[in-house]
Amino acid sequence: MINAVLVFNNNGQPRLTKFYTQLDTQTQQSLIAQIYRLVSQRPPSACNFLPLPPLLSKGASSSATGPSDTPTQITYRTYATLSFIMISTSTESPLALIDLIQVFVESLDRMFENVCELDLIFGYETLHAVLGEMIVGGVVVETHIEKIIAGVRAQEGSLGKKRAVQAANTSLGRGALPGLGAWR
Amino acid sequence: MFGYDMSWASFHVLEVMSSVKYLQKRVGYLGAVQSFRPDTEVLMLATNLLKKDIVTSNIPNMSLPLITLPHIITPSLAMSLLPDILSRLSHSNPVVRKKTIVCLYRIALVYPEALKLAWPKIKDHLMDDQEDGSVTTAAINVVCELGWRRPHDFLPLAPRFFELLVDSGNNWMAIKIIKLFATLTPLEPRLTRKLLRPLINIIQTTSAMSLLYECINGIIQGGILDGEDGLQERDDVATLCVGKLRGMIVMDSDPNLKYVALLALNRIVATHPTLVSMQQDVIMDCLDDADVSIRLQALELAVGMVSSETLQPVVNRLLDQLRRACVLAGESTEVPEAPDASAVWPNDYRTEVIHRILDLCSQNNYSEIVDFEWYIAVLVQLVSLLPPSESDDGWCQPKEPDNTPDLRMDAALRIGMEIRNVAVRVKGVRTEATRAAESLVFIDNRSIFFPTYSTIGDGALGPVAWVVGEYAELLLSPHRSLLSLIDTSNSSLPPHTLSLFLQAIPKIFVHVSQVTNTGDAWNSEMSLLLARVVEFLETLASHPDLDVQERAIEFLEVLRLAAEALHSETQDVPFLLTSVIPSLFRGLELNPVAASAQRKVVLPDTLRLDEAFSHDLPGLFRNLSDSSSVNSKSWEASDFYHTPEIMSLAKNVHDSTLNDTPYGSHSNLNDSMDPNATQRRILERKERFKDDPFYIVPSADSSGTSTPFHEILNNSNGEALDIDSIPIVDLKLGDDQPRVHSDRPRSRRAPSRLVVAGDETFEITNATVHASTSRGAGAGAAAPKRSLLQVDSSNLGSLSLAQEPSNTTADQGETEMANAMRQVEEVRLRMQRASERIELDGTPAEGTLVKKKKKKPKKQAGSGSPDATKALPESSAIRKKKKRKDCEKQAEENEPPSASM
Repeated sequence: MINAVLVFNNNGQPRLTKFYTQLDTQTQQSLIAQIYRLVSQRPPSACNFLPLPPLLSKGASSSATGPSDTPTQITYRTYATLSFIMISTSTESPLALIDLIQVFVESLDRMFENVCELDLIFGYETLHAVLGEMIVGGVVVETHIEKIIAGVRAQEGSLGKKRAVQAANTSLGRGALPGLGAWR
Repeated sequence: MFGYDMSWASFHVLEVMSSVKYLQKRVGYLGAVQSFRPDTEVLMLATNLLKKDIVTSNIPNMSLPLITLPHIITPSLAMSLLPDILSRLSHSNPVVRKKTIVCLYRIALVYPEALKLAWPKIKDHLMDDQEDGSVTTAAINVVCELGWRRPHDFLPLAPRFFELLVDSGNNWMAIKIIKLFATLTPLEPRLTRKLLRPLINIIQTTSAMSLLYECINGIIQGGILDGEDGLQERDDVATLCVGKLRGMIVMDSDPNLKYVALLALNRIVATHPTLVSMQQDVIMDCLDDADVSIRLQALELAVGMVSSETLQPVVNRLLDQLRRACVLAGESTEVPEAPDASAVWPNDYRTEVIHRILDLCSQNNYSEIVDFEWYIAVLVQLVSLLPPSESDDGWCQPKEPDNTPDLRMDAALRIGMEIRNVAVRVKGVRTEATRAAESLVFIDNRSIFFPTYSTIGDGALGPVAWVVGEYAELLLSPHRSLLSLIDTSNSSLPPHTLSLFLQAIPKIFVHVSQVTNTGDAWNSEMSLLLARVVEFLETLASHPDLDVQERAIEFLEVLRLAAEALHSETQDVPFLLTSVIPSLFRGLELNPVAASAQRKVVLPDTLRLDEAFSHDLPGLFRNLSDSSSVNSKSWEASDFYHTPEIMSLAKNVHDSTLNDTPYGSHSNLNDSMDPNATQRRILERKERFKDDPFYIVPSADSSGTSTPFHEILNNSNGEALDIDSIPIVDLKLGDDQPRVHSDRPRSRRAPSRLVVAGDETFEITNATVHASTSRGAGAGAAAPKRSLLQVDSSNLGSLSLAQEPSNTTADQGETEMANAMRQVEEVRLRMQRASERIELDGTPAEGTLVKKKKKKPKKQAGSGSPDATKALPESSAIRKKKKRKDCEKQAEENEPPSASM
């Protein structure tokens, strides 16, 4: 299963953290910091698999070949300023996870129309909604972009207009930022 | 969401969650994921809301709790929500169904009973051909997660999986099914035969690399390759797989494919080493890859596949790389910004390479090495190629203590030990090994053989020095080695190395003294050499490390004796040098002893290492300070080092049942400072203790030693000496008396303060241990768990699904069963809720149980089943109770068959 989905930017600031187990905030932060360290060191030509950071390698037995509950794989992919990371157990296929990240990003792109980092900051509900359509409780439920988009649209579409109005009225200076109309 | 704590907001989150507006509700649920923890009290209040949202007709609304529940689920919550969630499995919308299936899986992780109820339905969805594809995928995903825990339960479903694998065009699902089959095939060998064809088909036709890789991986992990009944197909498959993997490495420039292909090859190498070593050229290319991850994998693979023929080229290649890396690193330190940063290897990787080379060569007790002289040359080269420091990455540092020191010790030390191992184990090349060690030891060679910029290579010197000492007769130039060993610059080496040096020095010296032809010059030459050795040892005689200090002093004394002997006997070679000292080092030849041999030595029964000598150590010290204040006579030497003697004296006094009163009077007398009285008293005491072998004569005390040697001396010298010494002691006592007296409080406090300090340190250590553990628990919730982020599914391991798959015949009983189970759950839930209300700890006394019974129906009316009216009168509460009892009875009636089934 997938143990965590993380998105952070080139400065290591988290844009999305979804841990499918309960974890206290300190540990989350140090884990993100460690993974960011690993990711930031890698040249763009390197492969998309990370060695386990110290926090995770502590309990993991490296020699175990069979499946187990311990997370053993970290797959990442970097798009422009954002890095997408998936921590998973060995029951997931590493190459398939790369594709899954691709699907995730493509869906976001469809939802936000030319997605960028700011979209994720201000449209975090949509971000979570997309993720929620794809992964529930660490298990992948959907890999088809069309269905994911349809699922998110079903959530937002019925209330989309209302939401736009709300956003226009109540948002804190969103209108002042140019180029952000796209995400609505 | 961004890594900030928001557990304080859980109640507000609940408020937002209950909003009627969907978007607000959604934000609320997102907040719930962040803020709710199993111990959050608001969680109990949320149950109702969750129930309501699950059964709502609005699909987006409905999926919110389904998405959120996996994050916040607790057993009691699972119990109360289970019926509602189960009903969602048959919802008309596939989106709801697939989410429900996954949600049920997560519920089952904390509440395994849920799976028993849910499994038949999930299975129905799985078997249904008309089912929506994504629902089937979700079910397969869940089964794949469950599969490796209880593969037996899923064997009956294998035909369906097979069907799905062949027919469905969904790659993701196919990958999952292959993963599932990999766990099933070891249980059912017949599956192998059936699977091979479609798998080969997929391998040959698919364009999706991930599917191709997983097919190969599944073949490897499913044990299809390592069957015994030598199927022709098997070898074909293996060849096919390796061929495909080779293709992945060679043709594709995608580093990911290279990485996973190497990963897969690493798994194959265990069963088909020859096949893999045929791909050696490709793998060797990967050793030069720019990506460290790929290189490490290739390195691991290289270790697995070498044979005696391929070993030398592989190691030579690695050495070349290391050499290049060294040069590059050297350049990069001069030029701050190296043009291609990827070419400069991180130091920990270089260390890893060195370890791997050593692993490679030393595996199976050097079975792969043909040419040991070459190996020794490699080892000598490796010393100079050591990276400057083990790990200069900041976060690697705290990892260090966790590492098992045996496995990943200092690379330099390991090289030295390899040289030693070869010297000890391989007699044929012992001369060469010793010569190599010698060349490393030479002080003027160090700048050549060792990395110039750091002291990292020093670790190798210790074992090397041992070799030089042990096989001194094989040395090329023992004289020069000895001079190198006693070079003054050596005294700054680490203590561990130094103690090995110290052991080697006399060995070589003896050898030197024997090989030098005995002539006129011999004596002077030896005494000169001895003087230099003694000088070196003297510098170490006060070394802070106790081990070094002890060895230095021991050999120092022996060699001083030898020097004396040389001076005294002018014409002859002293006996001490010719046979006494050499005999110290002569004996049986040292053979390698297995590391586990020591453990096999049976401990004597009387040896109790875990038991404390005394349980009241501070008390002992307190007694000591008390008693010492009483018999202040013995306190004359207030030196700290004398305290043990005083203790023994004080104890002695008590043991010999001398009454304390004379002592008290003595101390009183002592206070009067009458010299006559003091002298009389000393004489008295001497009289009393003359025949006591345990008593240390105070006159001898001035030297602070209590050896029997002294006693013998004293005895043999006769009484006159004693009598002489008494006044001296007395005078000293008299002189000291005022000072001692005035200092008494201080000097008495001194040991007591020591004791307190000891106590404090005990407490401090305890406190730090506590602090560190609590900090550890805070920093890593992983402490109790096996690993961070791990979802514990071990509960499921004990849960048997076997009855459900076989249950297909008893379909009519199944719904009844489910009903009954649900009722049982309901009752149990109600009881638990009630007990939570009243007493969080549970274990209510009989009295509270009655109270609880009265309360329960009311609460259930408020929070429980939707068919109950809002305001329930008191009378109906009793009726409710009866009904509940009926439920219980019915449940009990139904339970035995469920157990028997």
